[in-house]
Amino acid sequence: MTITTEDASAPGPAAAGPGRRRPALSTWTTRLAPGRIAALAGKPIFWVLLILFILVPCASSLVLTISPHLFDQQAAGQGPQWFTLTYLRQAFTGTTAVAITNSLWVSGAAAALGLAVGFPIAWLANRTTLPGHRFVAGSMWLVLLLPSWLPALGWERIVQADGVMYRLGLDWPWVTHLIMGPFGVVMLLGLRSVPFTYLAVTAGLAGLGQEFEDAARVHGAGRAATLRLIWPMLAPAIWSALAINFAESISDFGVAATLAYNSNFSLATYQLYAAINNFPPSFPAASAMGVLLVAAVAIPLALQARALRGRSYQMLSGRTRQAVRRRLGSRGKAAALSGLALFYLVALGVPGFGAVSASLLGDYGGSFSITWANYQALFHQADQLGPLERSIGYGVVSASVTVVGGFIAAWLLAQRRQKSSRALDFMLLAAVALPSVVFGAGYIFAFNLPLWSRLGINLYQTATLLVIAYTASSLPTNARVLVGAVSQLQPSLRDAARTHGAGEMMAWARGVLPIVSRPLTMAWLLTFCGVFLELPLSQLLYAPSNPPASVAIQDNLSNYHFGEGMAQSVLAVAIAFAAVGLVLGGYRLLAPAGWRRIGAASRG
Amino acid sequence: MTPFTTRPKTRVLASALALGVVAVAGCSSSGSSSATTASSAKVPLVVYSAQGYDHAMTAAFQKATGIQVKLDDNSTGPLLTQIEASKNNPNWGLLWVDGATAFAGLDTQGLLLKGFEPKVSWNSLGTQSLPADKSYTPTGVTLMAALVYDKTKVTNPPTTWQQLLSSQWKGDVGMNDPSQSGPTFPFIAGMMNYLGGVSKGESYYSQLKANGLIIHPTNGPTLQALTSGQIKLALVQSSAGIGATFGPGSDPKLAVKYLNPVTLLPSAIGIDAKAPAAEQKEAEQFIDFVLSPAGQKVMQTGDPYGDSLYYPVLNGVNPLPELPSLASVKTQTINPYTWGPQEGTINTWFDANIVK
Repeated sequence: MTITTEDASAPGPAAAGPGRRRPALSTWTTRLAPGRIAALAGKPIFWVLLILFILVPCASSLVLTISPHLFDQQAAGQGPQWFTLTYLRQAFTGTTAVAITNSLWVSGAAAALGLAVGFPIAWLANRTTLPGHRFVAGSMWLVLLLPSWLPALGWERIVQADGVMYRLGLDWPWVTHLIMGPFGVVMLLGLRSVPFTYLAVTAGLAGLGQEFEDAARVHGAGRAATLRLIWPMLAPAIWSALAINFAESISDFGVAATLAYNSNFSLATYQLYAAINNFPPSFPAASAMGVLLVAAVAIPLALQARALRGRSYQMLSGRTRQAVRRRLGSRGKAAALSGLALFYLVALGVPGFGAVSASLLGDYGGSFSITWANYQALFHQADQLGPLERSIGYGVVSASVTVVGGFIAAWLLAQRRQKSSRALDFMLLAAVALPSVVFGAGYIFAFNLPLWSRLGINLYQTATLLVIAYTASSLPTNARVLVGAVSQLQPSLRDAARTHGAGEMMAWARGVLPIVSRPLTMAWLLTFCGVFLELPLSQLLYAPSNPPASVAIQDNLSNYHFGEGMAQSVLAVAIAFAAVGLVLGGYRLLAPAGWRRIGAASRG
Repeated sequence: MTPFTTRPKTRVLASALALGVVAVAGCSSSGSSSATTASSAKVPLVVYSAQGYDHAMTAAFQKATGIQVKLDDNSTGPLLTQIEASKNNPNWGLLWVDGATAFAGLDTQGLLLKGFEPKVSWNSLGTQSLPADKSYTPTGVTLMAALVYDKTKVTNPPTTWQQLLSSQWKGDVGMNDPSQSGPTFPFIAGMMNYLGGVSKGESYYSQLKANGLIIHPTNGPTLQALTSGQIKLALVQSSAGIGATFGPGSDPKLAVKYLNPVTLLPSAIGIDAKAPAAEQKEAEQFIDFVLSPAGQKVMQTGDPYGDSLYYPVLNGVNPLPELPSLASVKTQTINPYTWGPQEGTINTWFDANIVK
């Protein structure tokens, strides 16, 4: 096609027509070049995909709140209703209202706790000489890898009446009351938010060069004053972390269905699940709660928008200097290490003990006799390992597509002054807040319409739709995590490469990719880990005969094979962690030294 | 300034993403169409099942008949959610779960094929479980609820349902949550049926709650609460309780007892009324196979410490030796068409007043 463009300027055929038409022909042929078409069509196509795979399923599910007659989903005995506010009114009454109130304040507290714990850890790991700081990122993935119900079950196992704590002679009922209640729920959701904070703040810190701190110190600022200078520069990352922490907490189901449920502390996601799991399921009632959860996301978004309004946070450029790690004194090291150890003990040690012990005990945990029977059963049944392999494949494909989409979405989100970016922002965060079970039901409503079958498109219960749903549900979180890093990129990086003769893609690859390679790698892992053990979407959409890991585990846990289910969970987490190690190790070995150095703040 | 100069790059990336997704969809589309073409002689039979032996059964059926089976092995709740959400364009051929009330609910919505009865010799359990309109077929029976206890700690277990309300068992009784455990609603409905109505049943469970009833989500966690010592008496599905007393990973100190009356919980198969005729015929073949001697053998060996511990519904098929005899047990059958429509309201009441 490029040749056509060049030919157009050559003598010959051009003589057949007026001279002014030659440039026009040239322009058209240039415009029709594949790269150009792709460039022109890219953004609209991206929006079409977002609308098709995120907005339409969400809307299909949520619209049932006011129009249960759609998709023929009126509740039994309610009669066909094209328009009603009954379900919304019900959501504001009784146990549902209590559950939604609980979810709101618990999610706010968890978001704050996640920031309070995650920010210092990110700072220590990226900007100080904390011993073992290189291992913090990897271990953070382990926290992220654990499905939220696993730490909850682990803690329950320790503190419940006649639990491990009491068997060890520690008669502390106050601990039981503390953990088996709102405090425990906030603690678990808050700890689960720490990796999101860590990722967002690490990405922000990566773009925060040393020159700002140097400037402050040169002008006589102490540590506190320097921090006051730095803090606002990290505002996009901090607000991003708070928003994603809130949205992830309010949509969490794992803690709601385990620790919160067993503590008689009702959360909205559990109430929603109960409405759908009842028979016949009440999709309108569940959707009404979904609407309220999505509306709740407006709170952090409004705060975020107010805090960031009218400011630019583009500070990452070719002149950005790498940060110098602060040397910690012996007291500082001891305090930092103690704090970090406490975090890992609470977030990983306890649930790890709970899960591993449950997989090694045969008699439903009645005694301390250890057996390998559960693992032997796992390896002797062919259908037990297939789901793990399948989920690895789903995770790899979903993560790879998501990370590209997430980067584009983050880039669009960084265009703060556009209305479209604000709409995108709300849509993505609302999708995070929408519980997966409602999202999954929306996929069935939207993509299993008879119309699709008449067109010969049968996507429901195929691996394709499952992977698309995984991708669509992961993209919002992915974009939120990336936006902190992307919003710091200055266009001069790419322009510099273009000035030196690089093509469009080469300029991006050489000017931008090195800087965002680490956040992209992290975002890929985030999606992979999320997809690998994802349950609600998998249960509703998986292709028959091809169950993913989470469905197989759930099948074991609910069919009296509790030990096997726990063994399968432990094995799944081990596999996922190995994958994380492989990717991080691969990045370390294969990425050019410059890529690793930029943004890693590893000097010092 | 907003870096508009970066937009073309974004567009190229977006296009790449779009092409990738389209390519994935294209691959899938072509894959499914070729699969459809290849199997045009026999359509795949889509089996929705929550039974522990369904993998073994579908493999045996496929081997015996050559009919391709696609198995959606899931918990009862998600399966029913899938069926309700997709009822405009159903994708299932047959449903195989525990509890007649769910089938009665589907039947009243017109979602089940009526009038099919396999040519078999039913025993009394089978006859009791067969619906008048033949909209579903029983394949076995478990009981709800069995009383499970640790015989080294509980030497004199209760003998009647009323004794569970005594102070002797305060804080010691545990059961499942009907909104998470499919077989638990038939148990609650069974008690209401036995006691004389919904309000009397609500009163009984309220008293049980006042006596310290502890609710766990499903059979597994309730049994785990029993073995960890949190509770002394667990009310769970008979197959789960018996499975916990023997075999690998079990606790031999556990014992199972039935209190009179105990409610029958049939496992059953229903056929999708909207499935293609060819698939409906295959579903009928599947039911015939399940109830054949070969199928019953698979049911009794496919999940030996779980769902295989059922009471057969056919003459000439004996229950596994681990199952207690029903000779001295008074059983009751609840009318699924009476109790099924009340499932939503009763579960909601239970959730708001007993679980909380």
